[in-house]
Amino acid sequence: MKHETPYVFKVKIPSDVDYIPPIRKFFAEILQIKSFDSKFSFRSEVIVDEICHNAVTYGSQSLDATVDLVCAVYPDRVEFQINDQGGSKENVQRLKSVMEQRDEEFEKQVEYFKSNKGLGLEIVRMLSAEFDLKIGKDNVTSIRVVRKREEE
Amino acid sequence: MESQIELEYEDIKGRTNAKKVKFIGDLDATNVETILEKICNLFTDGFINIVADFKRLRYVNSTGLGILLHFSKSAKEKGGSFKIANVNENVYEIIEIIGATSLLEIYDDVDEAVAALQ
Amino acid sequence: MKPLKIEIQKSELRPDVSVWHFEGELDTASVEPINRNFNKLLEGKQLYTIAEMSKVTHISSSAVGELMGCRQVLTEHGGDLVIAGLNLDIKTKLNQMGAANIFKFHSNLRTALNAYTWDVEKKSENVWLSFPPELNFVPPVRQFVSRIARQKGYGQRDSFRVETIVDEACNNAVEHGAPDKSRDIEMFLKIDRAKLEIEVVNLSDPKKIDSLKAISKSILGTEEKKFERGRGLALIKMLSNDLAIDFSGKGTTVHVTKLREE
Repeated sequence: MKHETPYVFKVKIPSDVDYIPPIRKFFAEILQIKSFDSKFSFRSEVIVDEICHNAVTYGSQSLDATVDLVCAVYPDRVEFQINDQGGSKENVQRLKSVMEQRDEEFEKQVEYFKSNKGLGLEIVRMLSAEFDLKIGKDNVTSIRVVRKREEE
Repeated sequence: MESQIELEYEDIKGRTNAKKVKFIGDLDATNVETILEKICNLFTDGFINIVADFKRLRYVNSTGLGILLHFSKSAKEKGGSFKIANVNENVYEIIEIIGATSLLEIYDDVDEAVAALQ
Repeated sequence: MKPLKIEIQKSELRPDVSVWHFEGELDTASVEPINRNFNKLLEGKQLYTIAEMSKVTHISSSAVGELMGCRQVLTEHGGDLVIAGLNLDIKTKLNQMGAANIFKFHSNLRTALNAYTWDVEKKSENVWLSFPPELNFVPPVRQFVSRIARQKGYGQRDSFRVETIVDEACNNAVEHGAPDKSRDIEMFLKIDRAKLEIEVVNLSDPKKIDSLKAISKSILGTEEKKFERGRGLALIKMLSNDLAIDFSGKGTTVHVTKLREE
């Protein structure tokens, strides 16, 4: 990838789904300003929505927990990096098993739709050129997503 | 509080157990509860056939998709149907990406969906 | 048939909140244990209860009726009982029973606790945003804040005023910022049910500092004046309840408080 100086946006929000619609729309609008087309910005909006929702759902359940999102806008791509503050062992295990199951049992789509588990991150994976999920120390979960500008 | 979404209802001529419902706005995790309640009320009132007009539905996420699948399943269990029409390109793509096009009844326009009501 | 299990937890961070984790089937046989546990709750003066039901597989009308009765008693004492985590099938069933007219449903425990913190404890929430100092980024920033205000229940008029405040403050931050654009603009937002506090911080253009100080002094003063410059700050002052500008260090901090009117 080219190394150019990106436009970098950083946001810290409470771990609360109420903040997700404003934040996804914010990034969709930023991308349109930087000349990504409406389809690209819509897909990126979905990515932001799903990764934030995941961070809120599986991240730290303490009431002053926050979610940190960094967006770097390059001429040819956008990168999102989201960190939550570390979920419980149970939630992290659930996240891990959702990701593992998704890899192994891709054909069992209907069951996943019914349970609605893992659907969000699956959508993110399909919309991204790169998708990287890390569960680090203290169960801090970090997701990095890259979406490339499509050829017209 | 919720992302803004509105539902507008319209009767379907000649069908007492069917309703057209226009979805206006964004369907996401913040408003699925409200939408669930409203559509459930329709089912309870005997409107087991719903034609959902998505012309003005700008956005849907995985939580929203989950609720649409649930409506489809619930309607079928009651002997009815939940049909979707006028899905915009962006929303359709999200449905298509996860392979839900075969699980939802999607039509190009409302008239086609109404004609398909049994 | 999966027997009912009830586990009652006091929320560690919110001692006034009691979380009931239900597991299994709630039917006629559940009425007695629900009632018994509820009485203990009342004795302990725990008036706010979250019924966490993600592991509930079935719920009957008699169990719902019992929970409605519990809720009624709690609300009479200034508390509440809300339901969290129900799966869609059971939620649909409860909606058909009319339970949605009685209970608040939350998608999960987290959402229920957040709602408690916001509605009952009336705590504030904080947002921080940093963005490159370019004018074309200001519209999304102002809409971001306006949408947060709407999302948190502020009316259209208040949200519009907040949008204007953010717009003017951010425009100033960009226009009067350091010409090398070496530092991003930061915006802090503190929101609660009664007010919004917005702080916009930039790295100032050293050539403009003195004139900025003079403009802000006249705007923050009590004399009525016609301003050829500083109209943005004047507008912020008119739309807000408090405006303070700080020039300490190398940066300019504009701090605005807007009370909720709607």
